[in-house]
Amino acid sequence: MLAVHRDVVNIVQAKFLSAEVVKSIHLNVSSLDGNWCDEGRILALVEYNKTFALFILISAKPKPVSISDLSIETVIPIDRNFSCDTEPIEDSQCHIIFIITYKKTKLSFKIEIGVESSNFASEVIRSKEVSSHNSPVFVWLDKYLGTMNQQNRNSSDLTEQSDLPITRQHIAQGQTAINRESMLKYQLKLREPEYTQIQEFTVFVGTWNVNGQAPTVSLRSWLSTDDDPPDVYAVGFQEIDLSKEAFLFNDTPREAEWNKYVLDGVHPKAKYRCVALIRLVGMQLAVMVNTQHYPHVSNISYDTVGTGLLGKMGNKGGVAIRLQLHNTSLCFVNCHLAAHVEEFERRNQDYKDINARMNFRRSPLAIKDHEQVYWLGDLNYRITDLTTTQVKTLLARNEMTTLLRADQLNQQKERGNVLLDYTEADITFPPTYKYDLNSDTFDTSEKARPPAWTDRILWRGKGIHHVAYRSHMDLKISDHKPVSALFKSEISVVDQNRYRKIHEDLLKKMDKHENEYLPQVTIDQTEIIYDLVKFREPQTKEIIIANTGMVPAEFEFIKKLEETSYCKDWLRIIPYCGSINPGEKCDVKLIVNLESDLDRIYDILILHLKGGKDMFITVSGECQKSSFTVSMSLLCRINMPILRLSKEELIQAEKNNLLYSVPREIWLLIDHLYRHGLKTRELFESSALHEELIKIRDWLDHGSLDPIPGSIQATAESLLLFLSYTKDPVIPFNLHEACIAAATNFQNCRQIIVTRVPDLHRNVFLYICLFLQEFLKYSNDNGYDAKTLASLFGDILLRDVDRNSKPQASRGKANFVYNFLVNDLSSSIVPPK
Amino acid sequence: MARDYDHLFKLLIIGDSGVGKSSLLLRFSDNTFTGSYITTIGVDFKIKTVNIHGQKVKLQIWDTAGQERFRTITSTYYRGTHGVIVVYDVTNGESFANVKRWLHEIEQNANINMEYLTVGNKNDTPERKVVLTEDAQRFADTMNIQLFETSAKDNINVEEMFMAITRLVLRSKLDMQERQNDRTQNDTVNLRKTNKQGRKKCC
Repeated sequence: MLAVHRDVVNIVQAKFLSAEVVKSIHLNVSSLDGNWCDEGRILALVEYNKTFALFILISAKPKPVSISDLSIETVIPIDRNFSCDTEPIEDSQCHIIFIITYKKTKLSFKIEIGVESSNFASEVIRSKEVSSHNSPVFVWLDKYLGTMNQQNRNSSDLTEQSDLPITRQHIAQGQTAINRESMLKYQLKLREPEYTQIQEFTVFVGTWNVNGQAPTVSLRSWLSTDDDPPDVYAVGFQEIDLSKEAFLFNDTPREAEWNKYVLDGVHPKAKYRCVALIRLVGMQLAVMVNTQHYPHVSNISYDTVGTGLLGKMGNKGGVAIRLQLHNTSLCFVNCHLAAHVEEFERRNQDYKDINARMNFRRSPLAIKDHEQVYWLGDLNYRITDLTTTQVKTLLARNEMTTLLRADQLNQQKERGNVLLDYTEADITFPPTYKYDLNSDTFDTSEKARPPAWTDRILWRGKGIHHVAYRSHMDLKISDHKPVSALFKSEISVVDQNRYRKIHEDLLKKMDKHENEYLPQVTIDQTEIIYDLVKFREPQTKEIIIANTGMVPAEFEFIKKLEETSYCKDWLRIIPYCGSINPGEKCDVKLIVNLESDLDRIYDILILHLKGGKDMFITVSGECQKSSFTVSMSLLCRINMPILRLSKEELIQAEKNNLLYSVPREIWLLIDHLYRHGLKTRELFESSALHEELIKIRDWLDHGSLDPIPGSIQATAESLLLFLSYTKDPVIPFNLHEACIAAATNFQNCRQIIVTRVPDLHRNVFLYICLFLQEFLKYSNDNGYDAKTLASLFGDILLRDVDRNSKPQASRGKANFVYNFLVNDLSSSIVPPK
Repeated sequence: MARDYDHLFKLLIIGDSGVGKSSLLLRFSDNTFTGSYITTIGVDFKIKTVNIHGQKVKLQIWDTAGQERFRTITSTYYRGTHGVIVVYDVTNGESFANVKRWLHEIEQNANINMEYLTVGNKNDTPERKVVLTEDAQRFADTMNIQLFETSAKDNINVEEMFMAITRLVLRSKLDMQERQNDRTQNDTVNLRKTNKQGRKKCC
């Protein structure tokens, strides 16, 4: 079990009783149902009391995090009705189809090729083997059959979707390329009969163990005995070089020599081009095609497997070449299996190893995955239980049946131990081994080995019709005779025009679906106009985002290029992102809250759909001026409440002379506090009602003959608000650092105030400090001390640029202000110039 | 990575509000047309795969809001664009006059290898046509760009126009690849030359 999945295994295990053990799981499985593909499946192999079952679970997340993410879709008992297989997705590098058959049910899953899949598949196969020996009882599964999540795929859905097996929502979620590609392949495969036609190709397969001899005679009598030239040649040799160098360094001059003789020996009526030439020690295989077919050869790949010494050396083993000819995949395997009569089991094992270890680069297919496999070579199976004399006698009497019954390959094949699904043509030629060199005489040496059909050619796959199977006695330089087989093989040839049409047709359909399944939403309004926007009087407008598409829509307000946030600081969007299911809606609140001096608000918001379109929403509104947000300088230049002046008059007023030394509004607030609030406990800490603050704002901005409305605490809070929001802080930003640095020494602090703070700001600062000193005289009544007030006013008088984050260096600012609450300020007041 | 296309291009449709940008796209991608006018407020796209000389080209075609107030935002969508279609309305002289502005905007925002052409849409009611073909063609010639007159409503020239811009973009890409190949080859040649000279000096 992979360590990375242990957490998931635990979650899956939680779905079952403790005696029902999850043996293996496979994540990220897509279930293919004919025309359908559902992702998010997990396969789980579960054991209970030595019986196994395969569970298909639906997972709400790619990697489930809790038991609630999982539901059981299907359960399949593993007994003798169960079988599993894999099928390649043609040319897919990373996925394979895993097929489970149970009685008449067939389920297909797309899984990624890798350690996980091979582990899982081997666990399933092992459990199947265990089950075949028992008669498993599956009562324990009954409880799960009841809870199975009924699929709500009704028939209309199926017909509507019938020509495209795509979970379209995944395309919209950006998984387009892989899904589209593999699904296109899958669709093209399904429709293959529509754009292909079968053509018969002649395939010549030859094998010869040359016993380490160098080529000296023409190979024509072996390779070109037929009248017509074959379309494809696969010529395999064994033992082309028995030298130590060849064995140790896999290097031999014989490769080129034999290959030259092969090229010279092929049919003279056609020209051939080599598709690939591969060799491992003494095993060599060349595949050639008639040059006219070469343009239709693709995906050539090859590999070698050594099964000799130490189970891996190349003195025995196999070499293979795979290719695609037109639309049919072909694989040729040349092998040389273990020698000696009694070693038939070793030969079986060699065969299995070659199959297991042959690994074609650039192709995910194993040998058996090819549509046509031709297996040739010196398989080395012998005739058993007959003496040399008996064999020769039977041969002389032409009692082939008896002899072939004694052939180990036939025996082992019958028992299912080797080349299980392969076919061999009837053998009508004499054993090809062992001859005295340069003769047709069977071994006359001391050992006098019984003759045997060591050299064989078999095939697997549909549409292969054998024409001839023979040995070639004329070639006598080896102790083996060469063997050849001729086939008429059905190759699927693509009609380019039809293929293009179907391909374009499929692309068009996929485009259509891709477009249909892009996330789609509508919004009820794209222009939001607010009523007159006033200072700190939030207004909320709602927009409704409705998902009118076929897939969940993930929306998010995104920032425009060169902006830092998705909206201006006067706006809040709740929620600013989210996910809406098809047919559902989401209310989004756009809350405007004005805290600065603006004439009007205006912005275009971008509502972005993940993997889809962007929509623009315009928000705008006129703003009302307020004394709270304009500069103190302006307030000192107007002699009436701010809203009594027109915008033009206000612009004009910027140039007026100063009329006051502190803004009227501050004076009004402090005067009121001085008269009525000196003895009030928690004056600055009780939160006033929002309406009270609004009333005080309006009272100040519009002006009134009535007394200040609201409680004394509301006035106190209004003062704090006023000082917090005024355009520039009372102590200018650029002096904050100096103030904090000077905080330990009153004279230094005083120096800054007297010399560096602009007149107006100094006036306000001292005016407030003097008021606070007065306020502190009533400490017994109001409960405040200098420290508390200093820390309260420090953050306000030395306000940070960013009002919304936690104040910086609060302690230093408090210390600075503290100096002015406990020292005599009379010397600080500069007489007007 | 496995793909079902050979090239992926992003196209952008721009032009004044109401000239028929969305209609052109809808005609090309879905082969549909709706007479009712829905102004595009945002940017939307469709997918369409076409075949050019046996090469599968997947197009992601972006339709933009034409309204003046969205200009600054829509101009940010030029990023990553391979081809631009500038649309005007043959029944609206102002929209044609603005083509120049749109072309100027392309220059401001374009990548070096961006291709573009111009399209006079709504070319289906001769009596309402105010932008004459000759004038438009003359303008296109001076700007050295292709001109198409289309009707999304009557499905005239739409496919041809989209194929033309796709061909332009494809050719530009292939040309660039070729130039790059040439450059690497030249480099190799140069290197060899220097080597030879070096050897001569030694002798």
